[in-house]
Amino acid sequence: MSAIPSTTRRPGRTRAIGRYVLIVAVCLVVLFPIYWMLITAIQTPASTLRYPPHPWPTDINLNGFRKVFSDLPIARWLGNSTFLALVATAITTVLAIIGAYTLAALRWRGRALFGLLLMTTQMMPEAIVVIPIYQLYSKTHLIDNLIALSFLHAAFVLPIGVWILRSAMAGIPREISEAALIDGCGHLAVLRRIMVPLTSPAIVAVAVVAFFASWGEYLFATTMITTSERYPASVGLATLIGQLDTPVDELLAGGLIYAIAPVVLFVLIQRYIISGLTAGGVKG
Amino acid sequence: MTTSTEPKGGGVVEASPPGNASTVRAGRRRRKTNVLAYLLAGPILLYEAVFVLYPIVQGVRLSMTDASLGSSDSTFVGARNYDRLFHDPDFYGDLRNTLTYALAVVVIAVGVGLGTALLVNRRFRGRGVVRGLLMAPWAFPEIATVLIFIWIMNPTFGVINVIDNVVPGLDTSGGWLTSSPLSMVSVVLISTWKTFPFYSIVILASLQAVPEDLNEAARVDGANVWRRFRHVTLPSIRPTLILLSLLAFIFAFKQFSLIWLTTGGGPGRDTETLVVAIYNNAFKFYDYSYGATIGVASLVVTLLVTVAIMAVQRRYQEDSDR
Repeated sequence: MSAIPSTTRRPGRTRAIGRYVLIVAVCLVVLFPIYWMLITAIQTPASTLRYPPHPWPTDINLNGFRKVFSDLPIARWLGNSTFLALVATAITTVLAIIGAYTLAALRWRGRALFGLLLMTTQMMPEAIVVIPIYQLYSKTHLIDNLIALSFLHAAFVLPIGVWILRSAMAGIPREISEAALIDGCGHLAVLRRIMVPLTSPAIVAVAVVAFFASWGEYLFATTMITTSERYPASVGLATLIGQLDTPVDELLAGGLIYAIAPVVLFVLIQRYIISGLTAGGVKG
Repeated sequence: MTTSTEPKGGGVVEASPPGNASTVRAGRRRRKTNVLAYLLAGPILLYEAVFVLYPIVQGVRLSMTDASLGSSDSTFVGARNYDRLFHDPDFYGDLRNTLTYALAVVVIAVGVGLGTALLVNRRFRGRGVVRGLLMAPWAFPEIATVLIFIWIMNPTFGVINVIDNVVPGLDTSGGWLTSSPLSMVSVVLISTWKTFPFYSIVILASLQAVPEDLNEAARVDGANVWRRFRHVTLPSIRPTLILLSLLAFIFAFKQFSLIWLTTGGGPGRDTETLVVAIYNNAFKFYDYSYGATIGVASLVVTLLVTVAIMAVQRRYQEDSDR
């Protein structure tokens, strides 16, 4: 490197600075909406309901965060969301591990068809089935039932979960599991002792994707849950959009609190999500 | 999709001379594997059948009835709903909106995903942090995204209206979500913000697989940044880009809450996509059977794109097998 004359270095440095400027600019644009939500939530409506808006907070007031809990049943909604998402995550993770193993490790007739069916269900818009499922749930008295909703959520993330895990399992050398099978291990032991430990990042990714999907899902939730007491936070917050009587600081404070769980979860296990998702790739 | 290379059935194995103990054992093992696979895959198939396949079939049946709220006993009407669908100008409008919205989101979100992936592909200080920050919108739930943007695009106080003062000659009058064609631009913008990070990660992963020495060799040969991208990087990530674009189309096609909760499909029906139309027909006008009919039309579009995805996948799989 030292052999390179200094004259050719300078354009390299300007280019590097240019790249940094570009990176910072992109980050600012991408993060601006979140910044704007935050500073609106921590000011009184009197300071934000004005035009032109002020680019940074002029007063700090956390009333919105307090009032959103006292004026609205948001604690209850968040509790419902947590319950809903945890059940959906549990169902999805367990079934995805099983499904991925049958696709990645077992050779059986109908395997290709099974994969094809899963892939097709993954593509289905939720709206196509929302009317028949609404009728089904009405007939079987499963409206307003959070567990029934979580089963529905799991059904729609399960295919992508299977695909993520399948590629992770396919990446494990066949020799390992074959050696174990020859040594007398059953398939279930191979799955539990070899596949699950070796694909744990991908399993974490599947769990997080399932949690995100259920926590954020709106269409099924708003159709199947009709009483405020049972609302998950997504539906509860959405009902406030139409009514104009919720102060903006409260509304955005509620939105921020609702967004905290997935964002924190994401920050904590970002590494696993990214490696798990990219192992799944788009090839699925 | 990998295709099974094994012989169909165990008949050939059983016909082999009984003296050959190992083939008999192999045959038995294969049959045991089959049974195990059916035991494991069966519940999953049943699960998806109850929540996805059965409702789809039910939806097709519904589209041939006159079911609506209150009419518990619906009667078979044959193709009447389809006749209505094909003569319904709103349906063609919805179809056009869907294609406009989905294609715009595909091009812009995958484009931004590619741009940001290229930006963080090379090593630099703070890369991990930048990558994490750029992923933030992906972790942000859709309803929180909606709350942010209806505030940012508020007609009176929305910060986005500042653009009117900055860009000379531009007059949005605050109609970001309430005037046409600006509302379509807005929903595309919101959807792009929410979805590009996912495309960015996937593209980044395939960029990391581009051999560095190839790039280096091109650089030594005097190829500039654009030519290196065009002739080295792009060919290696093209399969990913094509598949991702098709997948992005499906995701945009499925999108409901980002549109419905910001514009409601309006003004008029100017941002009403097929998926929004299904919901509006069923749960606003309580016309279940017509909603289901639009559902069947959406199903056809979905299946066509899915077939395209599989065809592309198969082609590239063969290329990489060679």
